[in-house]
Amino acid sequence: MADTSPPPPAPAGGLRLRPPRHRLDRRFIVWRTLQALPWAVGVLGTLGAIYGYAESTRPWLGPVLLVAGPIYAVTIAVMPTWRYLVHRWEATDDAVYALGGWLTRKWQIVPISRIQSIDTEIGLIQRFLGLATVTVTTASSEGKIAIEGLDLRVAEETVDRLREVAAATEGDAT
Amino acid sequence: MSAPASVEEPWRRLSIRVVYLDLVRVAISLATGYLGTVLGDDPVWPLIAGSGAGLLGALGDLVRWRTTRYRITSRRVEMRSGWLARKHRIVARDRIRSVDSSARLLPRLFGLRTVHIGSGESESSFKLDGLDHQHAVRLQQELMPGSAPSATREPVAGQAPSATPESATPETEAGDPEQVIARLRREWVPLNVFTVWSVFAAASPLFGLHWLLRPVGVDLFGIGRGLLGWESRGLVWNVVLVLVIAYPIGVLVTTGTFLIGYWNFELVRKGTPPATALVTRRGLLNTQTVQRTDARLRGIAFAEPLAWRWLRLTETKVIATGLRQVGESATSGVLPRIRLGEARDLAAKILPDGSRPLEKALHRHPRGALVRRLGWAVYGPALASGALLLFGHAGALPGWVWPLPLILVPLTVPAAVVAYRSLGHGLAGLYLVVRRGVLKRRTVALQRRAVIGWTLEQSILQRWGGRMTVGVATAAGGRYYPAPDMSVEQALAFVSGATPELARRFIDPEGQA
Repeated sequence: MADTSPPPPAPAGGLRLRPPRHRLDRRFIVWRTLQALPWAVGVLGTLGAIYGYAESTRPWLGPVLLVAGPIYAVTIAVMPTWRYLVHRWEATDDAVYALGGWLTRKWQIVPISRIQSIDTEIGLIQRFLGLATVTVTTASSEGKIAIEGLDLRVAEETVDRLREVAAATEGDAT
Repeated sequence: MSAPASVEEPWRRLSIRVVYLDLVRVAISLATGYLGTVLGDDPVWPLIAGSGAGLLGALGDLVRWRTTRYRITSRRVEMRSGWLARKHRIVARDRIRSVDSSARLLPRLFGLRTVHIGSGESESSFKLDGLDHQHAVRLQQELMPGSAPSATREPVAGQAPSATPESATPETEAGDPEQVIARLRREWVPLNVFTVWSVFAAASPLFGLHWLLRPVGVDLFGIGRGLLGWESRGLVWNVVLVLVIAYPIGVLVTTGTFLIGYWNFELVRKGTPPATALVTRRGLLNTQTVQRTDARLRGIAFAEPLAWRWLRLTETKVIATGLRQVGESATSGVLPRIRLGEARDLAAKILPDGSRPLEKALHRHPRGALVRRLGWAVYGPALASGALLLFGHAGALPGWVWPLPLILVPLTVPAAVVAYRSLGHGLAGLYLVVRRGVLKRRTVALQRRAVIGWTLEQSILQRWGGRMTVGVATAAGGRYYPAPDMSVEQALAFVSGATPELARRFIDPEGQA
């Protein structure tokens, strides 16, 4: 039952949720791995060091390390690839549509007319890899869509096109 | 007056009466302080501290009066304030969602009002504390729906109801047609005063009194203990006795607060059809008037407290863009707690289109949702127990601690059943309806056009069970209304039914793809 393949959720009653068209860039996997590594090393290293030196903390830190170790191992080894296989996105003239998550999947749809701002964000590791994150915000913070790990050029094109389309469709704001 | 930034619209300032009010406050503070030093042999410190605080407050208020300027141009509202830290706030007029005025007792005697200009986000809301009554009314009329974008300029424009109707829109004058939707009824009072919190309502004034009387040498708690014969009973009986005595007192206190808060309560619809607003007025000492433009109304919601489900009591809130569902409850709550049947009739009048979406029979969510909630109810405490057991084995905790979380299971299981039975969703004409909640069952009816996005979520277990959680993003009210654990079929039908145009882009009929 453990399907790592992208959607489709059980089709039912004559309706079916179509997955978004595009995948992210492959470098997404490298990026997420590089991003997770320092955290894992930092947290596990600090806890491990305390565990090693301060004996009185062992009864408390032992169980924490026992649980945290495997969790970090999974987030580094499995999660980036798994996420890459799941994540999808598309931006048409009508809506921005994205699928994200890994264990829990999340489909998000925002009509172009409701977009309030479009941001491009490039972090340090992302710059090094030539990736970008495009964020589309609406009046509801839960309605925000962040597409992480797009190729820089694709991101720029997408944002330019979204700005044009959004400017053309004068939304009734809210 | 500081140099105005632009020539056309001068800066206005707060009423000069604020100065008189502050002088009176200074006098009162000084008198209290004097009393504090001469009353006893030793200075009475609470009085002196109160006097000092009052003095500082009054002086600070004078500085505020000195530095606050505001103006309303045809495009925006601006306010400057602050002495050391200066603030300049600009909000576009088309973003203003609510204008309401209130007054505390003392400023009210001086004819002063506080005007709140709300624009939805708290960072861009105004509070003009210290306008005289006429200016407050004028400001409300200027910013109200249907008022002319160009402000009428005479400084004291008199508010004779028979003013010449030469202003751009005739309905701005005091003669706005009003249609009363509801007034406070005597039967509502008992429905609103019995709460679990009544006990605490009695406790806090008692504590206050205790601390007030302590410096004078009266030990209120000691007297109370003597009266009750505290020492002669066990702890349990003492607690029971205190509750039996405190609850009626608490109910009296909540009755008092409710009556003071809801005195002369009135819910009216004001204005002529294209530019109408929902207005509530209430309060005995502080009159609170809240206006909500109908153009920004997006829906209505009921919240039914679990403890009163047997009496079918409900609170009623409106959902509007720019009004937060939580926090600014004063502006979103339109009715006190009343019987459901009555609330339904009133809700039909509150919605301008007169529809009754909240009465729609809702679709039940699949059985799997119940199983999932029962699972949470059991494995939540079980996980906590497991963690404690792990720590117990490691020697960090004593061995008997780990089963403690399991005591919660008899509580969480019924809660899970209630949570499942609360779940529901449906479409009713122009509205979509979702319902959920344990301690408060919230039924939300939101206009379909107010949907600004969809979020569909599916965990692994939900995927195996063929269920998904549908989240409705909107700019109104709580900004996000989730409908957990629909079946996939229900979810897609719900989304397609609510926004058919948008849904066609990503939901395909089966067999095509």
